[in-house]
Amino acid sequence: MKHTIALGLLVAATLAAAPVARHVGKSQVAKMTLKVGDPAPEFTLLSDQWKAVKLSDYRGKKNVFLAVYVLAFTGG
Amino acid sequence: MDSPAANAAFAKQIGLTFPLLSDMNRKMLKTYGILKGYNVQDETYEWALRANIIIDKQGIIQFVEEGDSAVDPNTALTMCTTLHKKDAAK
Repeated sequence: MKHTIALGLLVAATLAAAPVARHVGKSQVAKMTLKVGDPAPEFTLLSDQWKAVKLSDYRGKKNVFLAVYVLAFTGG
Repeated sequence: MDSPAANAAFAKQIGLTFPLLSDMNRKMLKTYGILKGYNVQDETYEWALRANIIIDKQGIIQFVEEGDSAVDPNTALTMCTTLHKKDAAK
């Protein structure tokens, strides 16, 4: 069976734990700047194999699915 | 922050076939507007949103989902299938 997802990229970009609501003062409302139809900004990220992976590596080859995980529970 | 080493161990453990990427310097998160700053008791902290983004072969964004709705990947997966079918029809 042909896989429907050409490529999945999991960005395990975990920072601090989720905010404790009662301590949050002025919280900035999260809003992404990206829109459908925009060219995706180029990025270079380090893979789990310690290789630099660029978005442009996949240009003309594969569709890219970026899943951004906060606190991915990878044990890291 | 999950390091490449932690990601490698996790990928091996669950048998992943796609790369797990670490944004150790938070550059991509900032560029994509996913990293947000919050003021908590006069200190600013930053963390990332949960997000699903689909980029086609031409480098054009085809789908964006953020926050709580991005926890369920099914909408994004449906979009992947649609893209794949479009590619196959070409």
